[in-house]
This record gives sequence, structure tokens and C-alpha cells, in this order.
Amino acid sequence: METTAKDRTEIESRKVSSGKRRLIGDRGSHFLKRMEGETGANIAACYQCERCTNACPVSFYMDVKPHQVIRFVQLGWREELLRSATIWVCLSCEMCTTYCPNEVAVAETILHLRSLAAQSTIAPREKQLAVFHQTFLDELQRFGRVNEAWLMAALNLKPGILKEKMRSGQLKTEIELGLTLWRKGKLKLLPKRCEAIKEIRDLYRNRQGDRS
Amino acid sequence: MKLAFYPGCSLEGMANDYARSILAVFNHLDITLVEIDDWSCCGATAAHSLSEKMAVVLPARNLAAAEIMGLDIVSPCANCFNRLLFSKAMIQKKIFDVPWTVTGSIQVHDMTRFLARPDMVERIEARVRKPLKGLKVVCYYGCQMVRPPRLTGFTDYENPMTLDRLATAAGAKVLDWSYKTTCCGASIGIGRRDIQESLTARLLEKARQTGAEAVVVSCPLCQVNLDLMQRDKASGHLPVFYFTELLRLAFEAENGSAEWFRMHIADPVPLLRAKDLLL
Repeated sequence: METTAKDRTEIESRKVSSGKRRLIGDRGSHFLKRMEGETGANIAACYQCERCTNACPVSFYMDVKPHQVIRFVQLGWREELLRSATIWVCLSCEMCTTYCPNEVAVAETILHLRSLAAQSTIAPREKQLAVFHQTFLDELQRFGRVNEAWLMAALNLKPGILKEKMRSGQLKTEIELGLTLWRKGKLKLLPKRCEAIKEIRDLYRNRQGDRS
Repeated sequence: MKLAFYPGCSLEGMANDYARSILAVFNHLDITLVEIDDWSCCGATAAHSLSEKMAVVLPARNLAAAEIMGLDIVSPCANCFNRLLFSKAMIQKKIFDVPWTVTGSIQVHDMTRFLARPDMVERIEARVRKPLKGLKVVCYYGCQMVRPPRLTGFTDYENPMTLDRLATAAGAKVLDWSYKTTCCGASIGIGRRDIQESLTARLLEKARQTGAEAVVVSCPLCQVNLDLMQRDKASGHLPVFYFTELLRLAFEAENGSAEWFRMHIADPVPLLRAKDLLL
């Protein structure tokens, strides 16, 4: 990708986490091409009108705003993206994709970055959310369906989760919520297992080598 | 008429009351729902967060099962509906290998949209025995049902009307409001409750400002999310109904019982009694 003089100054003034200055072009447009290929999103078409960020209900909580995510992909700033809170905070409510005038699939791009982050060695900024998604898939693998009570219990048993919840006081709120749900008969304690659970477990075994 | 029914995990647990009211309503409408045999979870947000392949192959198993049955799928849960459609679209693009045969011969219907078709609305109106007169509601659609429009096929994605039409058919007074498709944040409730509560609280506040006495939803996650926000009585009281609960009430007014609404956290029984809709 060609860069203008303005881009260069912006990029050079930005320090990477290691403290080293980053040179433009050390990744070229490989990352952009790769992301476009894998998501089918028209990322190069973004002209930074910020419609996505204005439509986003949670952009306030994001460190890299949706329109910046697209810009970062264009610039090849993969690590900044994978380290961001944005990729975990996104609700995938699809407001951004729906309203983009250039039909850039913003939500799909963010979700793809999330799956890249999950497969990378970078520690997720929102640990609980990352662990939650993984726990959900684990429970699905165990039963073929997901039972809410078992899902929450399994999440709490993951390393570090309970401790963090106790420290933040979140555990107390969650116990209250759980009791309310229990009193209303909304929690089912016995999970139902799919009879063809083997088929589902086979899917998990073959999930690597994602693209055919 | 026969349809394949894909309930989804929520309807076995937190939204069990939704499942019961759906079966009652379809029974009244003389539509047979055949539950997809040994269905499995669609993977929800987790699958497409962590592995795109899983997001395609997990729903595919249910699509294939429905194709064998030869019936169109009707899905009561907005997220399941979205995931099934996504999987179907991706299989047609042939990006991932799927171990089952999915030809795309069957349709996936969102339940509200299926019932809001003119012929179905006529059928519903013919069966209403006691219109829910004087009940002022707002309809809340959430995000997964209408967006992204190129996938869901909603053309009126800024102002969807399916739930509005159904609630009107049941005799309720439907108010207009601007938050029909604003996300309630349910998917982030575990992990970042602060964000979720700020989004949900705003929805409830706007519904109250509109003058609504209740909210009508079709998504099990939206219902639980909006309902759980009202667990302490101080924060006001705005019952959150599944649209099928209102239809059922209008269909079998005489037999209506408080037992139907036992699972609600913001108890709708006093409101319904005050309106003389429930004994």
C-alpha cells in the first residue's frame, strides 16, 4: 500500500510496545490482503467517515474505535489490534456493518480479529470474555447442547476466574442473580445430552486446518 | 401445515415458558411443529468468536436434519435464526467442508416474521377470543433478528414491524419508539456486566418514557436480560412478555392462569389483573 508523507509522520511518531519505532512497510499490505481474503470484507474501501463508530453502542468502552480498527488493518498493525479491548468488547450487533456506506464488513472484521487473537499467544485484554467463549464451546463439546447452569459453573472453575470475581465483588452479584433465576424456575440443573454427541465431538477433532 | 421446529438451548432452560407458549399458539393455529430430531446447539456467539469453521459446521447439522425431514425451519430464537442463516449462506459459498449434505433446499424462518405474514395474521385474528384491550406495549426486536439485513432479509431493518403486527393482532395498543433494534448487550453480560447494564437500563428507561406498560420481545436472551435488570423492585416495574404469551392469552382468555407467568421476574400478573385480562 502506498503511504503519503502524512501517514509516515503519524506512524513514526507512534511507538510500539517494545519502545522501538516501527517502520512502515515492514509488513506491507500482507495483513490487509490476508484479512480481506479471510473475511470477504472490503477493508481497503474504507474512507474513515466514522459512521461505524457513531452507530456502535459500545464504542465508548473501546480503546480502538471501529473506524480505527479498519485503519489499523490497512496499516498492518496486527499486534495493536490483537492486544486491544475492542475485539472482545464488540457485541456483534452489526450496526457498523449495516450502516457502512462502502459496505465494509466491520463487525465481521472485528470478529475475525477476535478469533486470530484467540489462536495467538497474546493474552486477551478481557480475560473473562475470552474464557467465557471458550467455556461455551467446551460445554457444547461435552453435551452437544448448552445448559446455562452448567455453563456458569464450568466458567467459575476455569483458572483465575473465581478469584477475579471475588476480588471485583462480581461474585456476590452473580450469586444474587443465580438465586433469582433459581427461585423463578429458570435454571435447569440436569443437562440434556445429544444422542449423536460423537458427531459433534468429531467436529471438534477436525476443527484445525480451518479452511478447505 | 407442517414446520420443522428448532427450539435452541435457551428454550430448554431459561426460556422454558417461551417454549410452552409457542406450542400452545401453534396448536391453536393448526400448524404442526415437528421438533428437529436430536438437534444440537448452533454455537451462538462463542463459535463465531473463536472459530469460523465451527460457526458454519455446528448449525449445518440441524440444517441437514431438516432437509431430510423436508420441512422449512422456524426458529423462535433470534441468535439461532441468525446462525442458521449464516451457516446456510457460507455452505453455499463452499468455503468450509461440511460433513453433512446441505443443499439449501429449505428455508429458515424467523418465527415472528413467519407469523406476521398477511395470511397468518388473518388466521390469528380469527382465533382471538379476548383482545388485550388497553394494554400499552412497545415491541423490542434486538439485533440478531434484523441485522445484518443482507443475511436476514429484513428490508425494514430500521423500523421492523413483525412484532408490532402480532401484538396489534392480539388486541394490544402498540406504541412507537426509537429503540426497537438497539442492542441490549446480553452477549457481554458475563464478563462485562457494567456495559450490559448501561445498555439495558437505557432501553427500559426509554420504554417507560414512551408510556409503555410492558415490553414485547421474541428473543430469549433479550427477555432474560431486560427482566433480570428489574430484580429489585425499586427500579420500577415493566413486565417483559414473549409475543407468544400475549397471543396465547388472547386465544384462551377464560383459561388464562397466573401459572403461565410464573417464570417472570417483573411479575406481570397485577398488570394483567388490573386490565381485566386475567382472572
